[in-house]
Amino acid sequence: MALAPSTYAGVADIVATLVLLTEFAMLRAALLRSQVRIYAFQSLVVTALTLEIAAVRHIGALYALAALTFVLKVVIVPALVSRLLHDADVDLAGSPVLGVASMALIAIAVSAFGFFAAGSLHVHSPTLPATALAIAVAAVLVAFVLIVLRADVVSQAMGFFSVENSVYVATLVLAAGLPLILEVAFLFDLLVAVVVIGVIMRVHHGRTRTLSTEELDRLKG
Amino acid sequence: MPAVLVTLLVFPFAVSVATFFLPVRASRVVSVVSGTAAFVLALVLVPTAADHSQVAAGSLLRVDALSVVFLVATAFLYATTSLFAGGYLHLAKNAAGARYGRRFYAGLNLFCWSMLAALLVNGLALLWVAVEITTVVSALLAAIDDTDGATEAAWKYVLIASLGLGIALLATIVMYYAGTTVFGGSYSLSYAKMLGGAGHFPAGAVRVAFVLSVLGFGTKMGLVPVHTWLPDAHSEAPTPVSALLSGALLAICFYAILRFFQITVRAIGPTFPRTVLLIFGLASLLLAALYLLSQRDMKRLLAYSSVEHMGILAIGMSFGVPIAIFGVLLHVLCHAAAKGTAFFGAGSVLRKFGLKDMAKIRGGIGALPWSGPMLVAAVLALSALPPFGIFRSEFLIVSGGLSDPHDVVTAVLVVLVTLAFFGLSWFTTQTMLSPNVTEPASGNGAVVTPPKGEVSTWIVASMAAGLLALTILGVHPPAALSHLLDHAVHELGVPR
Amino acid sequence: MGPGVVAPQGIQALQDATILLGAPLVSGVVSHVEARLQGRRGPRMLQPYYDLAKLFRKETVVTEESSWVFLAGPVVAFGCYLIVPLLIPVLTTYGLPLGYMGDILGGGFILALAGFSVALSGTESGAPYAQLGSSRAMTFGALIEPTILFVVFAVALLTSTDLPYAMAATVRSSTSEIVRPGHVFAAIAFFLVVLADTGRIPVETHTGTLELGMIDEGRTLEHSGPALALLKWGSAMKQLILYTILINVFVAPWGLSGTGSGGSVVLAILALLGKAILLGCIFALVDNLFSKLRLFKITEFLAAAFLLAVLAVFIFYARGG
Repeated sequence: MALAPSTYAGVADIVATLVLLTEFAMLRAALLRSQVRIYAFQSLVVTALTLEIAAVRHIGALYALAALTFVLKVVIVPALVSRLLHDADVDLAGSPVLGVASMALIAIAVSAFGFFAAGSLHVHSPTLPATALAIAVAAVLVAFVLIVLRADVVSQAMGFFSVENSVYVATLVLAAGLPLILEVAFLFDLLVAVVVIGVIMRVHHGRTRTLSTEELDRLKG
Repeated sequence: MPAVLVTLLVFPFAVSVATFFLPVRASRVVSVVSGTAAFVLALVLVPTAADHSQVAAGSLLRVDALSVVFLVATAFLYATTSLFAGGYLHLAKNAAGARYGRRFYAGLNLFCWSMLAALLVNGLALLWVAVEITTVVSALLAAIDDTDGATEAAWKYVLIASLGLGIALLATIVMYYAGTTVFGGSYSLSYAKMLGGAGHFPAGAVRVAFVLSVLGFGTKMGLVPVHTWLPDAHSEAPTPVSALLSGALLAICFYAILRFFQITVRAIGPTFPRTVLLIFGLASLLLAALYLLSQRDMKRLLAYSSVEHMGILAIGMSFGVPIAIFGVLLHVLCHAAAKGTAFFGAGSVLRKFGLKDMAKIRGGIGALPWSGPMLVAAVLALSALPPFGIFRSEFLIVSGGLSDPHDVVTAVLVVLVTLAFFGLSWFTTQTMLSPNVTEPASGNGAVVTPPKGEVSTWIVASMAAGLLALTILGVHPPAALSHLLDHAVHELGVPR
Repeated sequence: MGPGVVAPQGIQALQDATILLGAPLVSGVVSHVEARLQGRRGPRMLQPYYDLAKLFRKETVVTEESSWVFLAGPVVAFGCYLIVPLLIPVLTTYGLPLGYMGDILGGGFILALAGFSVALSGTESGAPYAQLGSSRAMTFGALIEPTILFVVFAVALLTSTDLPYAMAATVRSSTSEIVRPGHVFAAIAFFLVVLADTGRIPVETHTGTLELGMIDEGRTLEHSGPALALLKWGSAMKQLILYTILINVFVAPWGLSGTGSGGSVVLAILALLGKAILLGCIFALVDNLFSKLRLFKITEFLAAAFLLAVLAVFIFYARGG
């Protein structure tokens, strides 16, 4: 019988698992708007996780990071994408290649792989339990599934943003002591990437009048 | 010396901002000046870096022999590409053309700045940040032509490269975690510090970090199977950008992998990282060689040649003997010069004929009296023919492979390189050297025969510079450079 | 055995009695509360007892085509529902003599047998709606099964046993066990299973009369008199059994008798009924907040439950044993 983790670790694990669950929710969401909302919720969860670690472990810099995360990922990024959606006047996500149930099964299989792969690392972190790392890796892989199986730019971009969220969770697990300046640099980079992805999404929409990526099949070989 | 680093970091950025506001005519000159200045400054660093172990400015900037090697390659391409761009750009004489020119030059300089920054910064985290900036800037540059193809390529590029960098970030974080066991919870990821403590890092975490870094940065470096964005982006971006992507950016991602390699070798010994690089390298070489045989688009051809050369770099590192490592670093320099020149030549053909489809182009050498032959020379250089530098570097890599129990791999390497040579030179010679006879009516008859004459002397100058560098590297590399490479080999921690 | 301690056999009998007699009460209170939530006055809280009494007084009508299975089904199911309370922690923190007859899987099998016999009996009636309900119930039952299995796995991993008593004891042992992700997700998954198994929104409208949307309710359409009474009673008991498992194994295994003294057993009975009613109110609330899913969307609901149960097991493994 394995020993139970501390209460703090348990709560952290649950919050981290919520990140993974939101990933599954994104996989299922048929409306682009709801996908953006789920992303915002996921970012909120990530913020909460940051706050929890900051409070329990007394790492002051994490409060600042949590605030930044909140502003950037819960407010700005969803707002930017929502505006694009509003301008583009498209509601439905690109038709998934597979049905919801098959996607869920693939995602479950993939996340199982992530769990066991990360579990075999035997990483022990002072800040977060190793479980959160496994969850983060699984979430990264599920986001990959989302990107591969959804054929529209918004889903794919959201997939990328949530990969970033998951990596951020991994950062909290493995490197909560990372100097704040670096964390801010990472966040800033995300912002830049968001803007660039937004620009290219806009260009794409301007050229094809759709958000679908099904027409992007000219370049081969 | 620290002033040199700061200048290298600040000056191109300032130029980038300036070119956004300057008229195109001025930007053209300013960019060439900036590129040349960067190249000169990089050369200034060569003797110092070869003698001392490192040059640092503050805690954030630092170069050692390894980074100076890549710095020289990048700055050289910066200089020649801005020269080439001056002749390549044909802008409409209206507001749209002026806007395009301003954006293009600002982007070009910013792209070069970000690549230089990646080499100047001190630490894995900042390296990652800089590489991410190169991604976004180059993605915008790839999309700048605003065609269907460019948009598609840019989207694939930004998405796949960003995902790759997501994995690379994970690698950085895992490496940081490995460090916490030695340095405690909070520390900076500077190279010297990591290398100093690497001996005590936990093996499992380092192993994972290394694989993730090869996968992550390998995505941008063009290693198979995560290379898929590369041919698209290279073929659809404006040619100067393609040259920079291929000659400099891929090498910088290789540099990032080498930084992880350095730490990994000290932490867990060379066997594991070499095996990983060998697998990716062989896969890249194999696939690229096969694709090279079936290309019709000239820029895609060169793009797959880049995949091939990145595979050679990875395999060379996996041999692990100093002579092979020396060859690898020399190969980085030579590949930058050769691939740049080849793209410049392709750009020249593109402008002249208005086509990328090689099957429809004949007699290029007749139409382009200077850049035509030079393009052929550059392609031959890419195929490792003497007297050009790549012959020397590949020769060193192969002899390194033969001096170690890597006979089979070396044989495979030679066979695949030969295969690639066939693909590369077959189509190029067909395009450039075959006489310009009118095709029978059975074909679609779209053979274009423009009048004889160069597109621009700027292009010729840029190509001449590239070939000159290739020849120097091939015939007799300067002593200071050899010294620098020796030092870099030493820094890579390869046991002698 | 100290003074005032009820014999284990006595407690065992009391467990059955509590479920048997308490089930209609819980159902009554919950449907009363539910009516209030919807702004109706609703039936009396003791209404289910009157209903049962009335049905027992009526005669049973059987179609000519039906065999003995039609009448045996309700009896078998009722018997099953009487056995399961012996296996789970209803009143005590410690296992009673018959408590080791079967583990958590054994209990599951007996519940499944009950469901099967009701479905069989519904099919035997020959009426289309009853058959539709039966076939649907078995289909969704099959889809729920993997989830239940993974919940059981999670329990087994957490406690290294397959005994519900051990699980309850683990949960009681510390707060960190309660917030343990494996436990939380298994509990939520089981909550969703209970939702589906007791015929609640979003899976089924349990008060509805719309035959096309019926699943569990549809099976009993052709039964009447004492047979129907047994079915209704049985379904109330099943609901209370599932509530009991959710409460006393996963969520709130407090208030159980640890000593077996008379007072504590009485307290445990009251506590169980109280907690069950509270839980029922939560279900009533869920009923009011959500709308029923389309029949073909129910698989997605069950997939979500499955996902949670699987995650519970994964998370446990990620910890490295």
